[in-house]
Amino acid sequence: MAVLAVDGVKKRFGGVTAVNGVSIALEAGRIYGLIGPNGSGKTTLFNCITGLERIDAGRVRFKDERIDGLKPSQVARRGIGRTFQMIRVFPELTALENLLVVTRGPRPQAERRGRELLQFVKLAGLADEYAGNLSYGQQKLVEFVRVLMTDPTLILLDEPAAGVNRTLLNDLLAAVARLRDEGRTILLVEHDMKVVMGLCETVFVLDHGDKIAEGPPGIIQADERVIEAYFGR
Amino acid sequence: MSVVVTPEMIGQVVISGILSGALYAMVALGLALIFGVMRVINIAHGPLLMLGAYVTFFLYSRTGMNPFLTVPLAMAALFVVGVLLQRTLVFRVVDAPELSSLLLTFGISIALVNVAQNLFTSDLRAVEYITGSWSVGGVALSKPRFIAFVFALAVTGAAFLFLKTTRLGKAIRATSQSREVALVCGIDVGRIHMLTFGLASALAAGGGALLAVIVAIQPEMGGVWTFKSFLVIVLGGAGNYPGALLGGLLLGLVEQLASLFLTTQLSEVVAYVLLVLVLLVRPTGLLGGRQT
Amino acid sequence: MRLSPAVVLPALAVVLAALVLYPFVGTGYGVRAMLQIFMWIALAGSWNLISGLTGYVSFGHVAFFGAGAYTGAILVASAGWSWPVAALAGGIAAALLALFIGYPCLRLKGPYFAIAMLGLNEVLRALVSYFEGLTGGGNGLSLPTLDATRAIYYVMGVLAVAVTAMTYAIITSRFGLRLMTIREDEIAAEAMGIDTFHHKLAAFLLSAVGPGIAGALTARDQGYIEPLSVFPLAITVTMIVMVLFGGKGTVWGPVLGAAALFVIQEIVWARYPYVHPLLFGAIIVAVVLLMPRGVLGLLQLKYRLPRTI
Repeated sequence: MAVLAVDGVKKRFGGVTAVNGVSIALEAGRIYGLIGPNGSGKTTLFNCITGLERIDAGRVRFKDERIDGLKPSQVARRGIGRTFQMIRVFPELTALENLLVVTRGPRPQAERRGRELLQFVKLAGLADEYAGNLSYGQQKLVEFVRVLMTDPTLILLDEPAAGVNRTLLNDLLAAVARLRDEGRTILLVEHDMKVVMGLCETVFVLDHGDKIAEGPPGIIQADERVIEAYFGR
Repeated sequence: MSVVVTPEMIGQVVISGILSGALYAMVALGLALIFGVMRVINIAHGPLLMLGAYVTFFLYSRTGMNPFLTVPLAMAALFVVGVLLQRTLVFRVVDAPELSSLLLTFGISIALVNVAQNLFTSDLRAVEYITGSWSVGGVALSKPRFIAFVFALAVTGAAFLFLKTTRLGKAIRATSQSREVALVCGIDVGRIHMLTFGLASALAAGGGALLAVIVAIQPEMGGVWTFKSFLVIVLGGAGNYPGALLGGLLLGLVEQLASLFLTTQLSEVVAYVLLVLVLLVRPTGLLGGRQT
Repeated sequence: MRLSPAVVLPALAVVLAALVLYPFVGTGYGVRAMLQIFMWIALAGSWNLISGLTGYVSFGHVAFFGAGAYTGAILVASAGWSWPVAALAGGIAAALLALFIGYPCLRLKGPYFAIAMLGLNEVLRALVSYFEGLTGGGNGLSLPTLDATRAIYYVMGVLAVAVTAMTYAIITSRFGLRLMTIREDEIAAEAMGIDTFHHKLAAFLLSAVGPGIAGALTARDQGYIEPLSVFPLAITVTMIVMVLFGGKGTVWGPVLGAAALFVIQEIVWARYPYVHPLLFGAIIVAVVLLMPRGVLGLLQLKYRLPRTI
């Protein structure tokens, strides 16, 4: 049974159709990739799933419950966490506070968990630093572990590898694989094909708002329509 | 309340509503331009209108000039003021959080009103150039209001023509669509911002100049115009320039209609309730607006 | 730099004790001035709760002051309530008004709220003038004579302390941090599961109570109110200037701003009443452009002081 079922979702901005009737289904405990040229609708699809954009047609079901039309915060509370392509940490909150704000329940536990996660991405020493003062890569890590604080079932990552150095990247990818092993589902938008091919079990390809291919990375790489979308005729 | 509504009264409401609606549209277009291009709500828009009104008052009372002919002069003067404000202060907060631009223009607004109070005193001033009204089929058509209406329509029409057909106008619209695209197309965005602020201030000033012929003016007259202009934008849909026309007419009509049943004292209350209702029911405006 | 509770708490206790004893030793003018400072601390601190923390600018906070003043005055003058109860009722009335305005306006992004608040003041003034039977209209409303300055001094003092303590409690809580995420990046906050609308609404209601009570207390203290005296734009402007100057989003910024500006106003600017608004306008512009965090915000950043300063 699919954890997330996106069914014929459409999103138009004025005259431009950003997402044109896309359907994808994600199963629990797997890593999926979402690729496509710039402007093909990947981030818009993320926004449609997480409620940041109201969809014009179609349905989004999460754990067998319709979530299209819900507010973003309601979607998030049902167990979908995400990161953004342009980092969106809260700059005037400290790294630790960035993690705390998304938690509920007893605060001491939340703080302990927050420090653990910062330790995990090797930022323990910067827990009390304003997030706005951290480097790009560090902010990216804070944003990544902030998602984990909410214990999501489904994690949407928008270009997790961009701007992260190699060593860090390997840790990050290992972490993503571990999340999968815990039974979570991950959908990631990524331009770095090595990352996509190495990590994802299934890849969806978008082009001009249409889903043009879906399948294991090896097969996708050889798909003519995909090559055409990327390199032109 | 027992009010007998006759067809003449309805006619009067429609006429008066359309007359004041054009003025609302003209002033609101200015606020909409600044918001569209810079994402800044200019709280000082009303006070700029007030300054325009004083330009007309002083030109009329000192030189005896036909007050309707002072409209372009008031617009030109406030165009310069607008450009200077943008160039010295507002440009610093265009990309800052909303809080900064709202507070900055609020600060400018209080300062302008106070300067006017000190220079012009708080006395009510009036330009009594034309009075009385024509009677058209049992409906009174106020002479000054009608001429002001014609001027407002002409100025608004010219502004739309400018936006639609000229290079600069197109550059303004392109910038309000997407600043990045505008930059890529080689548009000097800083210059467009100055031009927009100048143009918007000129539209406010034109409104003030025409208002001076219709009603008595005083330094604090502007505040309610910032509010009403915003209401017009909300009615028409933010980021939708022609929507300002519809929004202006709608506000004019609703206010006049309400005046049938309520005292004019409560006309601001009516406008306010209208704003709250629209925000509650249809926050993207009646015409639908661009999502941000 | 660390300020340990062992230093701060006794210091606070000494200040509070001095303020409690002050009416017994101070001059009439002095007591009245302190009463005013308490009022400004309560007003500025309340504005800080909504605008300093969430970044949603309230241009009409005086509306809550005025609503509280009229509620309190009517209950005392017409219904014969005792003034402390009427003051509480003033706070509740203000919160209800905030609910009425906040519910439609806080669903949307900042400008809608700011403008709605800009208009609110005029509307209330018009309504108060219109419902003459209840409010006395433009003639104002007189309260039965009563010399309660000393009692009002203490109640206003408690109000100032309560608003500041509430600010402290909020800023150190996750609720307060969530309010700040709205200021920092509202979309990200929503996407992280923070129900921004209800957070804003809660902050707004809390921010209305203090001004409502302060308004009712001021009405009792002055014995007479009229639309122009309790709904002036100047009160909102002063709140804003105090918070911006002291440091928005901090615990002590509004306290510092209220005390400093009140003193400066009394000593220096009292001689130039006609240009007060110009000065305030200029301060707002200058602070926004040159020192957006205010005095305490600047110190906080520079010396890495904790958030509770």
